[in-house]
Amino acid sequence: MFEKSLYDLIRGLRNHKGNEKEYIQNCLKECRSEIRSSDMDLKATALLKLIYLEMNGHDMSWASFHVLEVMSSQKYHQKRVGYLGAVQSFRPDTDVLMMATNLLKKDLASSQPTTITLPIAALPHLVTPSLALSLLGDLLPRLTHSHASIKKKTVVTLYRLALVYPEALRAAWPKIKERLMDKEEDPSVTAAIVNVVCELGWRRPQDFLPLAPRLFELLVDSGNNWMAIKLIKLFATLTPLEPRLVRKLLPPLTNLIKTTPAMSLLYECINGIIQGGILGDGEDFSAREEVASLCVSKLRGMVSVNSDPNLKYVALLAFNRIVTTHPMLVAEQEDVILECIDSEDISIRIKALDLVQGMVSSDNLLSIVSRLMRQLKASSSALAQQQNGLEDLDDSSDDGSGRRAKSPEQAVPLPDDYTVDVIGRILGMCSQSNYANVIDFDWYIDVLTQLVRIAPPPSSRDLDSDSSSSPKSVDISEKIGNELRNVAVKVKAVRPAAVRAAELIISRLNADTVSSHPVVAGALKPLTFVVGEYAFQLSSADDTLRNLLSLVPRVDYPEVLATCLQSIPKLFASVAGDDQALWTSERKSSLSLLMARVIHVLEPLTQHPYLEVQERAVEFIELLKLTAEAASGQAPSTDEVQQDAPLLLTQAIPSLFTGWELNSVAPGAQYNVPIPSGLDLDEPIHSNLGSLLAQADSLMLPTQGDDEFETYYNQRPEPTSISSGPAIERLVDAPEEVSSSYQQAGEESYLDADIVARRKAERRERNKDDPFYIPDMSSNRTGTSTPIHNILQKENGPDLDIDAIPIMSLDLEKLSVSGPSRQQAHQPRQPRQKIVIEADETLGGSGGDSGLSTPGLRPGYDSENNSDSFNLSKAAKKPKQKSLLQFNSSVLGGLSLTDEQRPDDGFAHERQQKEEAEMAQAMKEVQRLRLEMQRANERIQVAQGVPSEGVAVVKKKKKKKVVKADEGEGEVVKKKKKKKADEEGDGGEGVVKKKKMKKKARVVKLDEDEGEQVGKSIDEER
Amino acid sequence: MINAFLVFNGQGQPRLTKFYTQLETSIQQRLISEIFTLVSNRAPGSCNFLPLPPLLAASGTSSSSSSATEQNDVPSLVTYRHYATLYFIIISTSTESPLALIDLIQVYVEALDRLFENVCELDLIFNFETLHATLGEMIVGGVVIETNMERIVAGVRAQGAVAKRPVNEGSRGGGGAGLGAMAAAGFQGMGGNFVWHGR
Repeated sequence: MFEKSLYDLIRGLRNHKGNEKEYIQNCLKECRSEIRSSDMDLKATALLKLIYLEMNGHDMSWASFHVLEVMSSQKYHQKRVGYLGAVQSFRPDTDVLMMATNLLKKDLASSQPTTITLPIAALPHLVTPSLALSLLGDLLPRLTHSHASIKKKTVVTLYRLALVYPEALRAAWPKIKERLMDKEEDPSVTAAIVNVVCELGWRRPQDFLPLAPRLFELLVDSGNNWMAIKLIKLFATLTPLEPRLVRKLLPPLTNLIKTTPAMSLLYECINGIIQGGILGDGEDFSAREEVASLCVSKLRGMVSVNSDPNLKYVALLAFNRIVTTHPMLVAEQEDVILECIDSEDISIRIKALDLVQGMVSSDNLLSIVSRLMRQLKASSSALAQQQNGLEDLDDSSDDGSGRRAKSPEQAVPLPDDYTVDVIGRILGMCSQSNYANVIDFDWYIDVLTQLVRIAPPPSSRDLDSDSSSSPKSVDISEKIGNELRNVAVKVKAVRPAAVRAAELIISRLNADTVSSHPVVAGALKPLTFVVGEYAFQLSSADDTLRNLLSLVPRVDYPEVLATCLQSIPKLFASVAGDDQALWTSERKSSLSLLMARVIHVLEPLTQHPYLEVQERAVEFIELLKLTAEAASGQAPSTDEVQQDAPLLLTQAIPSLFTGWELNSVAPGAQYNVPIPSGLDLDEPIHSNLGSLLAQADSLMLPTQGDDEFETYYNQRPEPTSISSGPAIERLVDAPEEVSSSYQQAGEESYLDADIVARRKAERRERNKDDPFYIPDMSSNRTGTSTPIHNILQKENGPDLDIDAIPIMSLDLEKLSVSGPSRQQAHQPRQPRQKIVIEADETLGGSGGDSGLSTPGLRPGYDSENNSDSFNLSKAAKKPKQKSLLQFNSSVLGGLSLTDEQRPDDGFAHERQQKEEAEMAQAMKEVQRLRLEMQRANERIQVAQGVPSEGVAVVKKKKKKKVVKADEGEGEVVKKKKKKKADEEGDGGEGVVKKKKMKKKARVVKLDEDEGEQVGKSIDEER
Repeated sequence: MINAFLVFNGQGQPRLTKFYTQLETSIQQRLISEIFTLVSNRAPGSCNFLPLPPLLAASGTSSSSSSATEQNDVPSLVTYRHYATLYFIIISTSTESPLALIDLIQVYVEALDRLFENVCELDLIFNFETLHATLGEMIVGGVVIETNMERIVAGVRAQGAVAKRPVNEGSRGGGGAGLGAMAAAGFQGMGGNFVWHGR
């Protein structure tokens, strides 16, 4: 025998480790010929093998016709394979499905229960609206089949039919309801129906209110926990519509909470109470209070430290739901929730983060962010270790089977996605409401500095990867940089610190990356702006310029490059533009060297394919060449002759960049700028732009060769003068033993050593004249120093051993009375100067959404790169982005089950629109007539002396009708009313007519309201 | 609703894939490998829920701003259990109860154990049709229809005899041993009234 069985295939796969690909290709080839065979056994076997291979990712869509052939086999075991093949391989575009209809009909009518099951179970995977339409009639009788298993599968299949063809439910619902109401029905069928009703319930809860008594009975009596869970979920959607249910539900639910041994049921009871809004306000306050505290205490127990991780997770889910309605209740649990942020389980962390983000305030921001930072720091150092250890193993273990080696002791490196997410959240929390929660901006700057180091590099060129990763397209590193830039721009008080931080990051970036590697950190873009714009505040503009120059040739992204290019002349201006300094020969030669260097770096960029880069490079090179000429022409001053530096250098270039200070501008403000009248934006810039661009495309960036010039400059020692603290600080830092406060311990655990050192130095600097401040112990030799000690030491000189003199030792506990101790270093350290955070500038008038409000008065203002607002606007832009795997049950939303008389119609929406148009016209007509009538009436009434009341009556009656109205009922109602009106009308002509008019008007009004509602709901669904 | 039910082993090789919405084969595979990466990096003692894999998260989280009802259609929960060499995954919407899903996987594994008598990975490899049949008795079209083990087992048996693994594949060596034992250990109190034990 040549053909293989499935066993042979699998065994073969296991025996061909290494060259599976080849083996599988051979097998596929065999299957292709086998499946064409006329021998049904062979065909079915081949199909089974194909299904197996499909599971492993080998497409079998080409075999769909053969799947049909096997489905139509007479033998059950072959038929089963065929149906399995259909379920696993048919896709929305499979076209042979049309041919399957009759086969499915036949199998649905089979005498064998096992055969009937096959199409029923397969249909949810295959169904299309037309298939649903033609099979509905065959499926419905199966609801009353003698086998319970067929009944329950049919129920579910009917539901899935209804998802693509809503009218199916209208036909099926009475029968399903009958099954549900039947107390004699098999309990497993009832359970299946409850599951389906639960799915339907959240779409149209109002249709299921009449079932409440029966559902309640099932909840209390059934004793089936699976079903009870679903029933509670269902009730949670019903209670908002029928508040009286709450009173009925509370006793059994509290009873279940107190007694059930099943944790899942307990949880769902609590969850149901939350979702059903039973926690909410109400008349029976004390009972609800009791329930609320019961639920929250149970949830607290679930979240607390030692509980099962699954319970932690679900409890956090529940808290996430409560927090929207009862933030107070959740805020009380802050302590246990914060613990979850540090859980080693990422799922739990993420859920806890979701919660915390909503709870953040200026009081807890610091501790929350410290926790997160500590995590990130630990993970990034673990990652660094791992990479060092596994550098060369990495490639070999990459192919699918590679599981990352994990040692349980060391911190597991966090996945990049998570790291990015956490960083985004930190930025979001801090920048919320224009930095309302940030108290200590120095701290924030340090956090940002640390984040830049931690941030994972963008994964494989996010910029030009496929659109699925588009939400991430703003590189996280750039976001961090943006924050730093925002702080520098908006908070003038800490601008110097922010600028120095940017300076530090750039120098580190230059020192850390290997000179041949491209620089990918997106943070460079905003940071170079900061160092350029505030160059006068740099500790060494010279070094920064040098760092930047050596970074520029390695920058990959053109946008980043363009910003760098703008910063270079700014820095140059601040280095060279000093008009006070003498024009010495020394200065002259160093400047001409510097200019030569800048020109050398910029030269290759004049050919850059990105136009912005090219243009800026060309501009600056020309400018510098002119300046260089001027500089070389100006003789240096000697002892006798005083020479000024060339004006081009000291006046012209700096004046390019000084002028108005740049402030942050609200995102929408641009829209408010009126377009100048003479400007035609459609006019082409150049008549032959296309060919110019084509030429530019064909240009290539010259490859980077390292010439002597380059190496000369790269050999320079790396800059050391940048660190602002004295070098001794670093030495002292390491062996430090002083027991520090909680917060400081926190900082040290998440900030790198050098940042901490700098921070301490700064703090000391700031507080050196503050008599209440106790200096950092590490800088003094003695352990118990006081301000007095310091003064004495200064006065008496170091020889006097002050500690030998017995004086009252200082109790740190008491110190807090006289002045703040170090332990509260962050809050009342000194009368905190009010930090002014500037709001974005905007222009008056209306235009873009965000430009509408006045600056500073907007409570919900978020800084521009806050992820929330970003996401929101994104979501608003394309809200109909359908998720993978998503069911679409929205069609059910428009389907009413209670209204049985409505004519079946698949195009409800279209019809409604037509109706609306008709109604609008009718309405006009009616109004016109009514006006006439009224006038006529008035004439009569005035004559009779009766006040006119016609209008008021109409209104009264209208209200009544609105309550009764159901969607899409308009047509019917209208007809009915007409008839009624006709019947009633036995008076004089005029009276009948008037009545008719009134009725008509009422109906029309009704329909209008509905139209609006439908319109709204459609809008929401989009 | 349940969006997908997956079984794969410790190397990420699929043993059962069932998607209740139609999906391209290549995307199925991508999703499986994403979930595998997530699941294989779990620390011991973590909870049985995974963060959303990137493929689902891309669309899942951005819809958080849309109305709460729309949310019920979107897969938002990935539940998994790990037995011996195999991972069992359920992707579901928020209308399912997370803790009940953990039990559902347990019921499935126990049913397989009953059918194969001390089930191991090899049984599942060679009888993937039975895997489908068993799942078909529990879930149809993404809705749970049966949780009682007797009925599930009876339903599968009614469709024909369940084959054992081929004799010459014999020894329960390799990656195969102990799935059934794990199942029994995880779920002692199965007597009709389902009780969730945690671990």
